[in-house]
Amino acid sequence: MAKHIMTLTVNGDAKEFAVDDTDTLLDVIRNQVGLTGTKRGCTTGSCGVCTINNDRGESILSCLSHALEWDGESITTIEGLEADGELDAIQAAFVEFGAVQCGFCTPGVIMSAKALLNKYPEPTEEQINEGMAGVLCRCTGHIKVKDAIRNDFRLRQELIKKALHDDA
Amino acid sequence: MLLPQHSYHKPESLSECLELLADLDSGRSATEERLAKVQVVAGGTDVIFNMRLGLFRPENVVSIRGLPELQLIEELNDGSIRIGAGCRLVDLADNDILVRRLPVLKQAIDAVASAHIRNIGTLGGNICLETRCWYTNNSADWRAGRDGCFKTDCEHCHVIPSSQICHAINNADTPLALIVLDASLTIQSAAGTREIRVADFYRRDGIAHMDLRPGEMLTHITIPPCDDRAEFLKFTPRRGMDFSLGAVAARCDGAGDQTSHVRLVVGSVSSAPIILDQPCRILEKRGLGDEAIETAVQSIRNEMGELTNLYARATYKKQLAKVLVRRVLVALREQG
Amino acid sequence: MRDAKEIDPSAVGTRQPRIDGPVKVSGRAMFTDDVRPAGMLHGRILRSRYKHARIVRLDTSKAEALPGVKAVITAEDAKGIYATQNEPAICGGVTRYIGEELAAVAAIDEKTAAKALDLIEVEYEVLPSVTTIKDALKADAPQVDPGIPGNIVSENVDDYGETDAAFAAADLVVEDKFVTRPTHNLFAEYHVCVADFTRPDKLEIWTPTQTAYLFQHSFARAFKLSLNQVRIVHLHTGGAFSGRGSVRPHHYVAALLSRKARRPVKVFASGDEEFLICRTLGDNQYKLRTAVDRDGRVKAIDVEATLDGGGQGHALGYFGWMVGLCMSWIMDLEGIRFRRKVVLTNQRPNYLGHGGMMIGTNAGLMQQLQRTADKLGIDPIDFLLKNAIEAGHHGMTGEHFASCGLKECLEKVRDASGWRERYGKLPKWRGLGVGMGSMAAGARGAFKHDTSAAMVKVGEDGLVTVYTGIPDMGQGTHTTMAMIAAEVLGIRASDVRVIAGDTDTTPVDVGAFAQRGTIMTGNAVKNAATDARAQLAKNAAEFLGVPESELEFVGGHIRVQGTSIADAGGPDESIAPGTRSAKVADTAASDSGEKPTSVSFAKIAYGSLHSKEGRFVMGRGFYTTPVDFGTAAWSFGAQVAEVEVDPETGQVDVIKVWVAHDCGRAINPLAIEGQIDGQVYSAMSQVLYEECETDEGQYLNPSRLEYKMPRTYEMPEVEYFIVETNDPYGPFGAKEVGEGPIVVAGGAIAAAVSNAIGAFLPEIPMTPYKVWREITRNKKRQAKSAA
Repeated sequence: MAKHIMTLTVNGDAKEFAVDDTDTLLDVIRNQVGLTGTKRGCTTGSCGVCTINNDRGESILSCLSHALEWDGESITTIEGLEADGELDAIQAAFVEFGAVQCGFCTPGVIMSAKALLNKYPEPTEEQINEGMAGVLCRCTGHIKVKDAIRNDFRLRQELIKKALHDDA
Repeated sequence: MLLPQHSYHKPESLSECLELLADLDSGRSATEERLAKVQVVAGGTDVIFNMRLGLFRPENVVSIRGLPELQLIEELNDGSIRIGAGCRLVDLADNDILVRRLPVLKQAIDAVASAHIRNIGTLGGNICLETRCWYTNNSADWRAGRDGCFKTDCEHCHVIPSSQICHAINNADTPLALIVLDASLTIQSAAGTREIRVADFYRRDGIAHMDLRPGEMLTHITIPPCDDRAEFLKFTPRRGMDFSLGAVAARCDGAGDQTSHVRLVVGSVSSAPIILDQPCRILEKRGLGDEAIETAVQSIRNEMGELTNLYARATYKKQLAKVLVRRVLVALREQG
Repeated sequence: MRDAKEIDPSAVGTRQPRIDGPVKVSGRAMFTDDVRPAGMLHGRILRSRYKHARIVRLDTSKAEALPGVKAVITAEDAKGIYATQNEPAICGGVTRYIGEELAAVAAIDEKTAAKALDLIEVEYEVLPSVTTIKDALKADAPQVDPGIPGNIVSENVDDYGETDAAFAAADLVVEDKFVTRPTHNLFAEYHVCVADFTRPDKLEIWTPTQTAYLFQHSFARAFKLSLNQVRIVHLHTGGAFSGRGSVRPHHYVAALLSRKARRPVKVFASGDEEFLICRTLGDNQYKLRTAVDRDGRVKAIDVEATLDGGGQGHALGYFGWMVGLCMSWIMDLEGIRFRRKVVLTNQRPNYLGHGGMMIGTNAGLMQQLQRTADKLGIDPIDFLLKNAIEAGHHGMTGEHFASCGLKECLEKVRDASGWRERYGKLPKWRGLGVGMGSMAAGARGAFKHDTSAAMVKVGEDGLVTVYTGIPDMGQGTHTTMAMIAAEVLGIRASDVRVIAGDTDTTPVDVGAFAQRGTIMTGNAVKNAATDARAQLAKNAAEFLGVPESELEFVGGHIRVQGTSIADAGGPDESIAPGTRSAKVADTAASDSGEKPTSVSFAKIAYGSLHSKEGRFVMGRGFYTTPVDFGTAAWSFGAQVAEVEVDPETGQVDVIKVWVAHDCGRAINPLAIEGQIDGQVYSAMSQVLYEECETDEGQYLNPSRLEYKMPRTYEMPEVEYFIVETNDPYGPFGAKEVGEGPIVVAGGAIAAAVSNAIGAFLPEIPMTPYKVWREITRNKKRQAKSAA
């Protein structure tokens, strides 16, 4: 079967990949781009461990798309959240508030949380529940995940203040 | 659970797409839906799922996700709203026109699966949702442990062994709202265009549940203006995630207890939405008081038809249907 | 890294974020599916499609001939290799359950492996089968195992005290039947194993596991290798929940394929295969009897259990002892009996789930006890307090409960939930339920040597490395170990690195189950850190010119007792990597000419390594429970749950759970809360949601979508009360939190639902349908008795 060449921008880096018609976006991320932070789970859209963000910062289940569907598009994976080696506020929040246990769902959960916070920087309980219902976190029962999300805005503000202070 | 071998196509316009469908789908009869030569895919949440399970084994997959003609939402001169089938559910849920003019449709859209699914799933995809069954919606290896069934090209149903038809369930939420809104679908092919009311689009048959023929695809949904009260309710084991075990949409004119025109639809308990008749007649005659509602609720048992134990016991589905119908009618009354 | 001036005097008791948190949130944490040794092949397993069938013909020739296929194995290749419950790695002859391994292929990619599988030709002769306990026990039932007559694989009784006499003398005997359904442990990470058996004298295995040690033994035995020839590398493990404690057939299949192909092989469970591979709970049936006096004294408990072992149920009977006895660990009984019969059926082999089997028994018994209290006109929490044991109690099999905060736990949740004011006075369909329980912390008995060992290395810059064999499945064990070492050495937990779970480099540790991590491994690490501390103390004593006995390790310093860091001119530099203290000197004299009374940990570490003799500092320690069988310490807990039931749909909303847990000592309160959260979640899930729907032995809902576990909307509010009773055995008094809360939560939530609807619910999960059904039945019962 002939391969197709597609371009995908991942975490800001644009590259070309030779893909099959039957490859999914998840396959390309893990096997060709070589970023294994995005996990393989149910592959049918129920568990959420394959979640990445599109260029609008929305949660996307990468197991449910043909890779070729994303030709020319730009995505962010968990590896792309850090900036200059510093964890994003939501990642720091997850560590600080005990929202990480086994860590397997963590990339998918964090990308989902990031998407939620992109839309609602100070989400209500209802918005948190709605935004995060699509991922399974078996270890935390979602409880401290929600704590971390609730504290993201405050942490983000503190980081901004600290950066301004350091610059001054 | 790999995707089966197929060719992927991404047309750039609707007309190119329809030509492609005609080319790829030639020579297939209307009953051979399972052996589709071509499958249209938008968000992929249902199509990719069914392909991984080996239930869809098309030779060709045609992506319509990017077709610009399917992305429009517009208010027409007569006040109708026309929505492209390729609009994402998340965009529709936030769309001002929809939120203002069609709150019951927004309720149904918000209730579809999870936020993740709605970020890629489309309205057209939900309308064309494949029916589901415990005995088919597992991997091909799983199914190999049993004889086949109607969905896998054998003359048999595991849910009701003596049955002559497939009992797979239609769990789509948006059609229920669209039915009470009297919406219609634009279906196009290279040969032409036709319109069909959503209420007439579904058949109570798990494998041929939609009036969609080879070479055709759903392109638009048109909803006439609606000033009536309307409400959508769904019952799921888990919120924000599951297909429902029962869902209803209702619409009535008038205010308070008064009404002269009622529409009621029950979904997710059989292969097609069940459009209720008798309860509506009762309410139109007697209004929306508690006693009238109770009588209407009791009458639905005559119209549910044969319910199966698929996903939930038939007795429980009947109970849910009654409860949801009662609650949705009370909700309508309380809308004022 | 924080400024040294701010260093806390103590690590234990602080809210410590996971030390592996940063690597997990950045996506860098490696799990087994992320591992790709060079030349790795993809393995797929051909699984039996029938519940009970003779394999008449198995022809793999077409698969072998497919280009890209590098190995095909059948039962011939797996002779004599059995997984935990006598499951053959690959079955030849007769298959006894759907999903049993019949053959396997390894190919250059997944698509080729899938194609190869389709090319294997199998001819089955379908045999009569049994899928329920009832059918399996019939006189003329087909035999699941020809060597096991009557399909009863084991029958055990544990009987302590004077059970019959207590029942005979009791004012009230309550009896209820109770049933639990098959489940799945449902961890996020699917079953996966990468095996490299390229060289016949070295087998390397990457797989998520609770015990690298036992896996090492299993593989060594199976392949007739010495322990040194087997290396188990466990990377991060995506949850275990009692589901990764022993080797399964697919582990051996990966190794066999690799040996034959002479290349590494990955076997990954896809989709519903996951539900066939896991070994968890089956259909279990209980008869629960309690003997109670009118004044509320529980005299005896008698549980009769019939357990569905599936196609191979050999280990189940063994675990019964814990289930039976756990009631005697919380109440002062005159007698307790636990009878269990394990029955074979043609279903997936069954084992334990999250919470062992105790969620089931507790969900039944706590309902029963609460309803009995109601019947007797006694407040249920007063009832439990009346019966609850206290510290110093001696149990029926010789247990000595040295520490016990059970009563305190009950009182805390009673007061916090407003129980006294509200119980019995809630609006209709709202309920309060109470549960209590105990859990063994580290249980010995299954293994010949049940030990943990640890090493603690002190680096030249004062950074410490702990070497341990225990995996961290997410419970936070590695962080706990870092904190224990930090506490002993007087440094920060963030200055301790933990290296774990590679049998080539880390010391022996039986593993992470039976709640042994904190107490066993924790004590081993404590011992190792104490050993390292002694080595450093010797060097520091020389440096400071004082006897070792006068030194203490605190705040990143080693100082003479009774002095403060300020005496020595202020806190020293932080333990930062690459620090070369400008003040490091070979003499003990300070600038002022006076003898210093303290020196930084980092300085002594550096000085030790760079001394003339090169005094490398490496502490080592071991620990095993001091009793011959069972455990020496138990956690205790009590919970109150509040629920609201929708009577028309039966849907249960868990509003809040108050949790009090006596974990001995809270080494890391943040992690303890996390454990409590996860266990309340899991208990709620098992009591209200989780169920493998079956049709004649085949699971109908083997997916994350249809097998229900709650998500965000369903989660209740949780309020925590950590009770510290400072156990004499545990490190710093700590016991366990790994499985105590889940059993209590199961009881509390079940009792709350029962309270809300005013009836005993005889089955879990209490799905909406079943709750509605019970409400309907109860209405009929009440109407009947009123008439």
